[in-house]
Amino acid sequence: MDRREALRLLAAGASIPLFPGHLLAALREARAMVSQQSAPRTLNPHQFATVRTMAELILPKTDTPGATDVATAEFIDLMLTEWYDPVERDRFLSGLAAVDTRTQSLFSADFTAASLAQQSEILIELGEKMTEEAQRARDRAFAGNGTLAESPEGFYPMLRRLTLTSYYTSEQGATDELHFQIIPDRHDECAAIEPEKEAPEPR
Amino acid sequence: MCRDRTGEGGTGTAVSEETTYDAIVVGSGITGGWAAKELTEKGLKTLVLEAGRPIVPEQDYVEHVPTWEMKFRGLGDRRRLQEDQPIQSTCYACDEWSSKFFVSDKDHPYTTEPGKPYRWIRGRQVGGRSIMWGRQSYRWSDLDFEANLRDGIAVDWPIRYADIAPWYDYVEEFAGICGEALGLPQLPDSKFLPPMELNCAEKVVREAIARHFGGERILTIGRAAILTQDHLGRAACHYCGPCERGCITRSYFSSLNATLPAAEKTGRLTLRPFSIVHSLRFDSNMRTIAGVRVIDANSRAAIEFRAKVVFLCASTLESVRILLNSSTTEFPNGLANSSGELGRNVMDHIMSSGAEAVIPGNEDRVELGRRPNGVYVPRFRNVKTKSPDFLRGYGCQGSGYRQGWERGILQTGFGASFKKSISRPGPWRVGLYGFGECLPDRTNYVELDKNTVDAWGIPTLKMHCAWGKNEEAMRKDMQITAAEMLAAAGGRDIEIVMDEDPPGFAIHEMGAARMGRDPKTSVLNAHNRAHDVKNLFITDGGAMASSSCVNPSLTYMALTARACDYAVRQMKRGEL
Repeated sequence: MDRREALRLLAAGASIPLFPGHLLAALREARAMVSQQSAPRTLNPHQFATVRTMAELILPKTDTPGATDVATAEFIDLMLTEWYDPVERDRFLSGLAAVDTRTQSLFSADFTAASLAQQSEILIELGEKMTEEAQRARDRAFAGNGTLAESPEGFYPMLRRLTLTSYYTSEQGATDELHFQIIPDRHDECAAIEPEKEAPEPR
Repeated sequence: MCRDRTGEGGTGTAVSEETTYDAIVVGSGITGGWAAKELTEKGLKTLVLEAGRPIVPEQDYVEHVPTWEMKFRGLGDRRRLQEDQPIQSTCYACDEWSSKFFVSDKDHPYTTEPGKPYRWIRGRQVGGRSIMWGRQSYRWSDLDFEANLRDGIAVDWPIRYADIAPWYDYVEEFAGICGEALGLPQLPDSKFLPPMELNCAEKVVREAIARHFGGERILTIGRAAILTQDHLGRAACHYCGPCERGCITRSYFSSLNATLPAAEKTGRLTLRPFSIVHSLRFDSNMRTIAGVRVIDANSRAAIEFRAKVVFLCASTLESVRILLNSSTTEFPNGLANSSGELGRNVMDHIMSSGAEAVIPGNEDRVELGRRPNGVYVPRFRNVKTKSPDFLRGYGCQGSGYRQGWERGILQTGFGASFKKSISRPGPWRVGLYGFGECLPDRTNYVELDKNTVDAWGIPTLKMHCAWGKNEEAMRKDMQITAAEMLAAAGGRDIEIVMDEDPPGFAIHEMGAARMGRDPKTSVLNAHNRAHDVKNLFITDGGAMASSSCVNPSLTYMALTARACDYAVRQMKRGEL
């Protein structure tokens, strides 16, 4: 009933800053929740475990939740099943298979069975390759007057896009990490924040 | 709010509504809403015919639904969009939340001349596109109203700024327009509510522009139909951000949030959703519209409605389509088209050309809340100094923002320190993009495509529109001046942007039923009344004789209120 009352007041012209707290909470209440996913539909158990491990390496659990906590692998399976086209899905799956091939050739183990240091080495290599490919795509685009968007996205940038999206659009990622508020407490176009004390932005 | 009268009228056979109304308004978008308010408040029993469904704000508005409640986290149901809304979903506002406010391209097809792409972005529901419009609101000036006469292009406007200024005052006082008064001759001030604030990076660019461009160029906060204080029973904006998803506090202006409730309050409004106007029936003896022919979207029943006066507010191209579909032996090329100008001179604004840059500094500052408004650089070309490359000019729109987590996608980092770093705001960036005036040109036209029909069997439009040399020259200039202004502000990594958007994509289509003094060269008179049909008014974007470079909706509102006043005065004198 609270939500209904909140909507009634708003529609009558009530001002949000003067809104009673319990009604504001009711307004923010989750609705139309997305149905919970059951078992993965595109990824097999081994692929699913590999994706989950890689995503957690990119955004690990720290004092805030990590990729696994926000069900990133489940989201990636949904996207591969219902969002990407078959060509993109196959590009992702063959890139994922290549990760195991590379880990096997270097360390004689599947990615999920490799040590943390070995897994990191693989991610560094994938990152270097991603940067080189982006550079080549830029060169091609300028040479042929094409546009950057025409280059299909490879496995690793796809994985990173999906991992970051899944994390920062999740309730925990958005609220704990980004301090996102659906209805902001206040607005201030130039608000002071604590200066960053850590190392500068990595490339 | 609406009396739902859907389903009446039986099946298949044309029936006439027994009630005769004083006025019929076709469309409930930004101009239909105004016509409904003005006509009912002036005592007219008014029927509003809306082709789409009713909207119930409490259920349909989704601005407070967060990403994590969306199945695809805001990326949209791509396969469904590609199947059902491949054209509509190219618009930024047609996303996972708001795509329901845009038409199905399958049900609403249109065709284009080969080699001349056109984007037609449409909304069919009570409130029309006023639900997801951009809300930017600017007055025209005499620089605009005199432009055609000065350049010897198309036809002269039959009105000047002095004719419309009181009507700008009138609609602004009701709608609520926030902005900063500047006293510029080329961009007259509105009756403003307090302006929204510039953010840190925007302030840096504003100061640099003032220093480097000798007062000729000025950056100001966008002028927007959003309340910055409580106003006439509507609440001030709470900065949640995505207005295009609706607004339960009714803080931005739309038909649903403001004009339709006002019309409803008079007790003289009948709003009929699911009512697709097929054509108008002309009485050649009386020289009037005798009936408005409607197809009920659900039952497909054909129904005719009658009124003393008819206002077409269906959007520029839909209103033209209705008239083209209402041919008679006297008007074989479309009703009210003795001039041959109906469907011609289609204009839009040329956009998506500009620049973006990192604006160093203010790293210890962030923007709290999501201001649903950008910045504006009023037109500076051909105002004081003449541009050798093109006629008329453009304004620049854009905004400053701190880069978000998306910047981490193509970085190579991973792990705890990477996560910590991209969770913090990135550098400040500012983008500025031109919106350029488009010249009226007879060869930019739409016609009825009798071989392609919509889901209700009504012939669709075929578009023949392309940018001219003047617009192309302007588009080149926009990137240079935008980059210049960002460079003056110490911008780094300046990126020039130029997307070759086809006409239509600014969603400012206008001009296809232009106003003019001479019935031989124009469709409407100085009060939006058809030269050929005594009781027919068109007050949507069709009436525009030129396009200016500013967002047009505020001018449509003012013209609509002015035309309603004229129509009611004519009726009282017994002339309608």
